[in-house]
Amino acid sequence: MNLFQTVFTGSKQALAAAEGLVAKAVEEKGRDCKVAFPDTAYSLPVIYAATGKKITTVAELEGALDIVRSLIVEEEMLDKLLNSGLATAVAAEIVEAAKYVLSDAPYAAPCAGFVSDPIIRSLGVPLVTGDIPGVAVVLGECPDAESAAKVIKDYQSKGLLTFLVGKVIDQAIEANVKMGLELRVIPLGYDVTSVIHVVTVAIRAALIFGGVKPGNLAEVLQYCSDRVPAFVNAFGPLSELVVSAGAGAIALGFPVVTDQTVTEVPTLLLTQKDYDKVVKTSLEARKIKIKITEIPIPVAFAAAFEGERIRKND
Amino acid sequence: MSEEKVISVDQTTLQMLDKAKNEGLETAWDRKVAQKAACGFGSAGVCCRNCTMGPCRVSPVPGKGAERGICGATADVIVARNFARMVAGGAAAHADHGRSIVLELLHASPNGAIQVKDEKKLKKVAARFGIETEGRDVYDVAHELAQAGLRDFGRQEGHIVLPPTVPAKRKEIWEKLDIVPRGFDREVVAIMHSTHIGCMADAEAILKMGLRCGLADGWLGSYMATEFSDIMFGTPHSRPTEASLGVLEHNQVNIVLHGHEPVLSEMIVAAAEMPEMIELAKSQGADGINLCGMCCTANEATMRHGVKLAGNFMQQELAVITGAVDALVVDVQCIFPALAKLSESYHTKFITTSPKARITGATHMEMDEAAPLKTGIAVVKEAIMNFKNRDKSKVMIPEAKTKAEVGYSTEEILNKLDGVVNSHIGPMQSTKPLADVIVAGVIRGAAGVVGCNNPKTVHDEGHLEVIKGLIKNDIIVVTTGCAAQAAAKAGLLTKEAKELAGPGLKKVCELVDIPPVLHMGSCVDISRILELVGMTANQLGVDISDLPVVGIAPEYMSEKAISIGNYVVASGIDTWLGVVPPVTGGPEVVDILTNRIEEWVGAKFFVETDPHKTVEQIVNRVNEKRKKLGI
Repeated sequence: MNLFQTVFTGSKQALAAAEGLVAKAVEEKGRDCKVAFPDTAYSLPVIYAATGKKITTVAELEGALDIVRSLIVEEEMLDKLLNSGLATAVAAEIVEAAKYVLSDAPYAAPCAGFVSDPIIRSLGVPLVTGDIPGVAVVLGECPDAESAAKVIKDYQSKGLLTFLVGKVIDQAIEANVKMGLELRVIPLGYDVTSVIHVVTVAIRAALIFGGVKPGNLAEVLQYCSDRVPAFVNAFGPLSELVVSAGAGAIALGFPVVTDQTVTEVPTLLLTQKDYDKVVKTSLEARKIKIKITEIPIPVAFAAAFEGERIRKND
Repeated sequence: MSEEKVISVDQTTLQMLDKAKNEGLETAWDRKVAQKAACGFGSAGVCCRNCTMGPCRVSPVPGKGAERGICGATADVIVARNFARMVAGGAAAHADHGRSIVLELLHASPNGAIQVKDEKKLKKVAARFGIETEGRDVYDVAHELAQAGLRDFGRQEGHIVLPPTVPAKRKEIWEKLDIVPRGFDREVVAIMHSTHIGCMADAEAILKMGLRCGLADGWLGSYMATEFSDIMFGTPHSRPTEASLGVLEHNQVNIVLHGHEPVLSEMIVAAAEMPEMIELAKSQGADGINLCGMCCTANEATMRHGVKLAGNFMQQELAVITGAVDALVVDVQCIFPALAKLSESYHTKFITTSPKARITGATHMEMDEAAPLKTGIAVVKEAIMNFKNRDKSKVMIPEAKTKAEVGYSTEEILNKLDGVVNSHIGPMQSTKPLADVIVAGVIRGAAGVVGCNNPKTVHDEGHLEVIKGLIKNDIIVVTTGCAAQAAAKAGLLTKEAKELAGPGLKKVCELVDIPPVLHMGSCVDISRILELVGMTANQLGVDISDLPVVGIAPEYMSEKAISIGNYVVASGIDTWLGVVPPVTGGPEVVDILTNRIEEWVGAKFFVETDPHKTVEQIVNRVNEKRKKLGI
């Protein structure tokens, strides 16, 4: 299957999944049931940024499926491909919103799920000052916990904010990677769709810090591309859904680096099979330069360890 | 000249044609009208003059009228023979061009006018000819390389040295069809022999000879001309220039270089840059010396020095008609003999320099091969001394000029591509990024838009409509020859032109920092396109015919274009012709060229005079190829 067809297929799968979950929400909670993510003034941020409209009820959530449909135009041109990626993002947000409708607490430790506005505001300053030089989204599954930890700890030691999605969360735990907002490693969830919670971080950055008007999608994308130094590491076998989500990342200007053999697109979609080089490859792809003052000490030293708590047993 | 018919989409051309009309001067367009309706027999290719039993003409309609010439040759045999002779004519032109250049390398010396400028390229080319370079004197290598190159022109046994950019699968196809060229001159002679009366009388076999001769042109004559020119005069890199007749200057000595071989332009560029020449120009009341080019000499000079592009083939007379050209200096190929008479109406010195192209009525200043710079200086002096004769009341220089970026040799394209390679993944200096975006579908394919101007079509319209249509559909365009100049004049060779491209190509232009249309040089530099396509095929491990790549000659006219078409198709690249070639009288020939040839070489000719339909057909064909390749 060519890259375009893979993305279109993944987007249609995302749409089908969203339709299924919305139908379930309608059945279980009714169309009038409230829809909201916790602690946000931006409703469903992706949809709000794209359309300027706030989704408040299940009925409106059902209506939002049309946005997904309208973005999937199966014509093999780059703009259609990027839109199809955005369709997957919108569908993922619908799925995630439905999870919050169907359950009061869809996410439990270690997974964070939705990232609240206050957290984003607290990240704003270090992002602007470059104290957080980049945002890494690590998703999927590494061949072993050791290589996963190597990559994540490397980002951590460089002060990057790292979001984890999928089995890599368990691998990070297995390898004793310390996590938490203060440690700048945030596990989001096990489903692919939970990656949307980092997308909304970037999108809310455009709305909060960039002052971009909701509904001005082109400007939101431009802000993310110019100002949010994020990138994606996709490890392990890639489903069509993941690839189409990757197209969404590329639409936001975030390059995708994977350990799989894929149809590469220079600077945007890259294969790096050597785990020792994943970090360097990713930083170069996103043009992230880190000012390093290396101090020869026997433990990792970085701003990411500032909030670390030393427990009795440690 | 009929009033209603649009002649050109280029405004300066129309302005100059008005001026010509007012001054009672004749141009090619007038002569086209004077020719009245062209002979239907010649247009269909069914007229034969290969012996004195004839001329014979047979009916272009099968089953009606005379079906055979006196010797018994059928319409298909006559058409195929005429077509093959066009290939031979075109290939011979490129052969002689290549030969001159190889001879220049043979005479290159460290203190001479001609030196080795690009040692790296010399070593690369020497290596492919199996010449040892390690620890050797550069000029020893150069001379040995020139000898090796010359051998391939006159080779009698075995085959020519094919560059490594020919994919293995392609070579196998050529071997199976027995169309691997032997020596370049030999292939031309072979066609002239076999098309003699009473020799070859089988359309299929004649056309195969045409393919073999074409291949000798593309992968040997033109290929060497390009490589050796780069070795001596430098490999082109991207640089800015300007285009259109508006590049002529009011108070400068305007020298227009026209023709093909770079040695002429190189020597004149060198001479015009000499302080004493500039002083001389000033002493004559001019502000300086303004070099401009036309046709392929312009392309050579602009690729390496940014010399301004005055115009393309159909504008050569119009340059003179501005009244501002002090010297029109030419060497060989595509030079209207009409220029001799035309320049009598102005002060313009029309100077021929090559013993291969003498023109009655011109001032002949023969290029001294032993001391070419001397000739360059003499020509520039002649132009400067002619400045004072300019009749300012007769001068009209159009206001228009357009910025353009030129100089995209294969090497420069690879350098640009390096800019998007992640240094932790690599590799550098490869066509992988290009192959990647094609495979991914970000750009759908690549097209080479080449060729001439032809008064049968609206001047430049075919070039521009095809190029704009293709880039809009995310097909990247590389261009050479007069097509490149049409693009330059229309502003398509700028980075800003990315706004006319589709979303994918636009993105690629932004990432790689290039215009959507890349000027790759002169007509012999089509070999650069072969090189690039061959490298990309090798990168992907496929044959050239598998790639979504096409060639188009929207306004071609010369036999060289026919030879080019033959080697492009034989190399596995579908080729669109915007002017109907004289083959319509031979049904079998038409069937072979536009259909059966695909079974031989994986590509064929398409004849389509409507540029918009051409774009549509190309997009469909590109998608077909993508599908077959599974991308």
